[in-house]
Amino acid sequence: MPVPINICFCPPQCTDEPHFLIQTPAVLAVEGKRTFLGRLFPGGSNVVYDSRERPLIPGRGLVAFLRHQQKSQEGCPWAYLSQRQRRFSILGAPILSTSVASLLGELLHEELALRWERLLLDDVCTGGALAWVPGRTPGAGQLVYPVGSTMDTLCFQKVSLTPETEPQVLRDPGRIQLRGPVRQVVTRSVQGEALLAVRSDHHCALWKVSTQGQPAPLQVVQVDKGATGISLSPHLPGEMVICSRSGAVCLWSTEDGLRQIYKDPETLVFRDPSPWRWADFTAHPRVLTVGDRTGVKMVDTQGPPGCGLLLFRGGAEASCQKGERVLLTQHLGDLGPESLHPMLHLVCTQFSVYLVDERLPLVPLFKWNHGLRSAPLLAQLLPPPRPGLPQPLLLAGQGGELQLLHLEGAGASMPRLAGLPQSLPTRSDSLSAFPLLEPKSHRRLQERLKAPTIGLAAVIPPPASTPVLSLFQLSAAGDVFYQRLHLQTDPGPNAHAPAASWTPQATACCSWWLEALLAVPLAPPVWAAPTFSHRRLLGGFEPQKMEGPVPEGLRRAMAQGRLLQQRDLGLLPPEERPPAPEPGPEDELSERLEAAWEFGAAAWWERRRGGRAGPGKQPKRQKRRTQLSSTFSSLSGRVDLSDAASPPPSPDRTVPEARPQPPRTPPSQELTQEPWAQGVPSERQQTLRDYMAELPLHADTPGGASTLSSQTPSVRATPSGQHAPQDGTFQQLPRGDTPEGATLPSSQTPSVRATPSRQHTPRDGMVQQLPRGDTPEGATPPSSQTPSILATRSGSQRLRKKPRMGF
Amino acid sequence: MSVVFGNTEYCPHFFVTLVQVTFSFFDMQMEEHNSTHLQISSGIDMTDFSEELVRPTTEDEQGEPSVRSGSGMCFPWLQNHIESIASGGKQEKDFAQTTSACLSFIQEALLKHQWQRAAEYMHSFLQILEDTDSNKRQGAPEIIWRLGSEILYYHPKSSVETFNTFADRMKNIGITNYLKISLQHALYLLHHGLLEDANRILTQAETWRYGEKSSSQEVLVNLIQAYKGLLQYYSWSKKKMELSQLDKDDYAYNTASQNMLNHSWKTSVNLCTLIQIPGVWDPFVKSYVEMLEFYGDRDGAREVLNNYAYDEKFPSNPNAHVYLYNFLKREKAPREKLISVLKILYQIVPSHKLMLEFHRLLRKSDKQEHHKLGLEVLFGILDFAGCTKNITAWKYLAKYLKQTLMGSHLAWVQEEWNSRKSWWPSFHFSHFWAKRNWKDDKTLACEKALVAGLLLGKGCKYFRYVSKQDHQVLKKKMKQMKKSVKKYSIVNSGL
Repeated sequence: MPVPINICFCPPQCTDEPHFLIQTPAVLAVEGKRTFLGRLFPGGSNVVYDSRERPLIPGRGLVAFLRHQQKSQEGCPWAYLSQRQRRFSILGAPILSTSVASLLGELLHEELALRWERLLLDDVCTGGALAWVPGRTPGAGQLVYPVGSTMDTLCFQKVSLTPETEPQVLRDPGRIQLRGPVRQVVTRSVQGEALLAVRSDHHCALWKVSTQGQPAPLQVVQVDKGATGISLSPHLPGEMVICSRSGAVCLWSTEDGLRQIYKDPETLVFRDPSPWRWADFTAHPRVLTVGDRTGVKMVDTQGPPGCGLLLFRGGAEASCQKGERVLLTQHLGDLGPESLHPMLHLVCTQFSVYLVDERLPLVPLFKWNHGLRSAPLLAQLLPPPRPGLPQPLLLAGQGGELQLLHLEGAGASMPRLAGLPQSLPTRSDSLSAFPLLEPKSHRRLQERLKAPTIGLAAVIPPPASTPVLSLFQLSAAGDVFYQRLHLQTDPGPNAHAPAASWTPQATACCSWWLEALLAVPLAPPVWAAPTFSHRRLLGGFEPQKMEGPVPEGLRRAMAQGRLLQQRDLGLLPPEERPPAPEPGPEDELSERLEAAWEFGAAAWWERRRGGRAGPGKQPKRQKRRTQLSSTFSSLSGRVDLSDAASPPPSPDRTVPEARPQPPRTPPSQELTQEPWAQGVPSERQQTLRDYMAELPLHADTPGGASTLSSQTPSVRATPSGQHAPQDGTFQQLPRGDTPEGATLPSSQTPSVRATPSRQHTPRDGMVQQLPRGDTPEGATPPSSQTPSILATRSGSQRLRKKPRMGF
Repeated sequence: MSVVFGNTEYCPHFFVTLVQVTFSFFDMQMEEHNSTHLQISSGIDMTDFSEELVRPTTEDEQGEPSVRSGSGMCFPWLQNHIESIASGGKQEKDFAQTTSACLSFIQEALLKHQWQRAAEYMHSFLQILEDTDSNKRQGAPEIIWRLGSEILYYHPKSSVETFNTFADRMKNIGITNYLKISLQHALYLLHHGLLEDANRILTQAETWRYGEKSSSQEVLVNLIQAYKGLLQYYSWSKKKMELSQLDKDDYAYNTASQNMLNHSWKTSVNLCTLIQIPGVWDPFVKSYVEMLEFYGDRDGAREVLNNYAYDEKFPSNPNAHVYLYNFLKREKAPREKLISVLKILYQIVPSHKLMLEFHRLLRKSDKQEHHKLGLEVLFGILDFAGCTKNITAWKYLAKYLKQTLMGSHLAWVQEEWNSRKSWWPSFHFSHFWAKRNWKDDKTLACEKALVAGLLLGKGCKYFRYVSKQDHQVLKKKMKQMKKSVKKYSIVNSGL
């Protein structure tokens, strides 16, 4: 019988927007239900059963389920549906298995494609969600931006800017709760009237902001297919253009309502699957620019539908690169008497910034390769800070980079760059200004500062002795950052920009912010696989008694929650286990470091050298080699050296004895270890043998005969690697490289102890499982050093295991 | 969510008033001619120089794998990630790593205007010329040239000599870049006022040939020749000025005029090849035409201008029509001819300042349709946001509107007004503008009020606001205005 698949049927868009999940109320509801039901079913057992003694009304089950539900609340909030789904899947498995799988497969594929696209480029916040609404006095105004974990609350923060001092942030910002995440906030002052437009995924709204700063809602538009961009008319109050994913562009005014002015599901120049559309106004109030990834077109709203003139084409005229696409277009409108000509448009692609003139379509006036390391989705042109100076154009990448371009050419002259553009300090640059933190907090702060930029607003406060550019940035984490740039009109030949610094006030503000940031407990992972209790699952339906050890073992292992092992199944004799995967390439450096840590670098080097001499030996061969070496040793006549009743060990000789034995070494082999021989230099062995020959030993030892026979191989080749038990899988382990017997006697240093830890390190999870279960405790050598060594070993195992987890 | 107001006191070289090499020459030209509305230089040469001054050649050119989504979009910022995946996690060679790191350091330093630091890194970056990867080695000279010239352009300690040495060396390292480097070198020298040296460099480059003549080489050679021609034109026009100051009986006059003749001949050869190629060549065309005109070759000049304005292969360029119009005007061409030229300009740029002149021409014309067009042109100018305060246009409109209505051409007015009545009231005649205009410019307010009254009737906000104002000087005008509105307003007649 197939085990039912417990798929948590989350609608795909839910995992898509994790912060949409409202977790607390659901928990509360369950809590309430449980107490209620608990009263109804006090013991949980007085339930009506059907003929097969299965609960008809799942009283106990429900309570248990609810109890369980609470646990799984931290995971998927839809887990509470699982009971019903489980039953459904049991019932419908034979019929539904294929169709559901294919359906889900399709959805999954779609979802993955969507996520991949979003991973490559998240264009949802194009245009920026931070805006500055000027107030009554020149320096005062409001910052409008979304707050809240779902970015669905519009916050109106009053700020007063003065060129000399810090901005004054007034307390108690106004808030407006919306029904969707805010993606774009646009403001415009037309004929003395400040307007504020907000784009959410499926709604666009317009507010009128009074001179006191009070927003009054005007209207809301629903966009079924999803809105991709909005902009407000700089000419007529209350006029807004909305682009939809379907390719439609609508002009919307408070008087005339909504009017579709352009619709083309296809892209302008060549075929591109992106549904992103963008629209902006031009110098003529009835002509709009409509843009998509391939180009920009000027459309007359009064002319016949579909006609228009291409303003920018991603192609040879602009000498575009292959794969270059439009990311943002913006009308650089009229910003005062000394500003650029109002017929200029900015076009940003992932490589370059273009300036296009309405009067000379298709031939960009200039092109600048911005070289930003992320998508430039935000741009803002400012009026000249002082008459006669170039206009600053800010360009912000999603990753937080900021570039400042200076555009020159007021009036009729040709626009051009004045000087080389500048990159401004990013948010991550301010990391060094924060106090020193412990690594974990440091990382947290770093991540916070690295959050993508989703909003940009720049203001030049009222004229002062030196104009100042106040720059606000909104990050995706919800923080608003402030930056101030001072005008330096005459940089001397060696003038260096003073390093970015914080005033005491700013430092205080930042430390307060940091404290608040670190005080917030780390959020649990937003989504984790639902943890269904398999006990309940298996108990829920009574399976037909299955014979054989396999299901039994399986169930036992599942019940205990441990890894299923071969011996649980008892299917195959251990000898026939499939060989473990070949050990990967050795990580020399970490081995060496490990050895050095144990003061055994020299030994390691020796081994290494030996290893070079005969690399790539297989365990089988090693066995053969042991035999060979033993043959040689027998020829050299050293066999009889080993004996059970060795002479009283000298202090020197204790060391090899203490050498850790792999815990899995069977006791029988333990006896064959004649450790003393290892520590004795070969030239002294003869003397020892002579000495021992004097002693009447052989008769006393009960196991003497047997040891003699089994000793032979182990005399010379004592490296722990060759203590391999008969376990088939374990044979894979030794790297089988060195004639280590030769090196070991000389190295009685602590490094020797470290050797086994490396030698026996299993190469994969399966092998690793075995010794733990198999080895009886008694097999570990009763040496005092063992525990520490074991610790080393397990440590190294852990280290090594990680990269192999994939298998 | 919290708000941080960190004050980063940063004092960058905020607005440096240095001019980029590329555009400097056009400026010189523009000042000299004190010229027209829109100056657009060549599409080809601009993209050649203004792009990617601190960027290496594109990934595609180097034949490296690039990150593309399903749509074929390229993501330069994901390039490294994908490359490492594609190469199975294998890292680049150490050498490639250091050079690319060095490159990014230079770019960063340049964007932070740290010329000294950039120069130091540049010193190390030169090792890229020894890269074993032939692809990279070939692309290297161009990168070095772009970065190096940028650094030397801005570095406080660099001098023309340093730049010359650098340019001369670079020309010979990357043979394929010889022409480009020569041209940029010449532009650099021009920017520093060294016309002689620039001319020498251009002359050298002009005769340079390498391998088979490719199309890109040809364009560059043409461009170099044209710039040389432009330089000659410059000295020619200087001589012309001197000549105009000389007395005709002066003995020096003859030699000077002889000199000019020689120059002209050379220059015309240099300039005329380039302007045959489709593109935007405003400064070249202008100077060429001026010289042709000076020597009396009017037919030649007309041909050049006609070709420049009407050839289908050339991009639509309003300046071409402006030049042709100005030429015809100098030539005292018939009004019909002038109108036909400006008609095309009107279709391209209805807000052009020549449109007022166009209106005057149309008004003087005898044809009915021209009169109608005259009204259309005025409405067209005032549609644009940049022209809302153009007092001449409002004056003309008020006058012409009254005239048209008096001439009982109500249909013309209504035709124009129908497409505008939905938005002109809030665009021009709102209460806000009434107040603002009255405050800033009373004459403008009066003209606008008259138009508003004529088009919207005396009930409209703008007219009411202005007519309620009491002003001594304008009293008579106001009275007249009220009278005309009462008499001719299209709202009254419609009722």
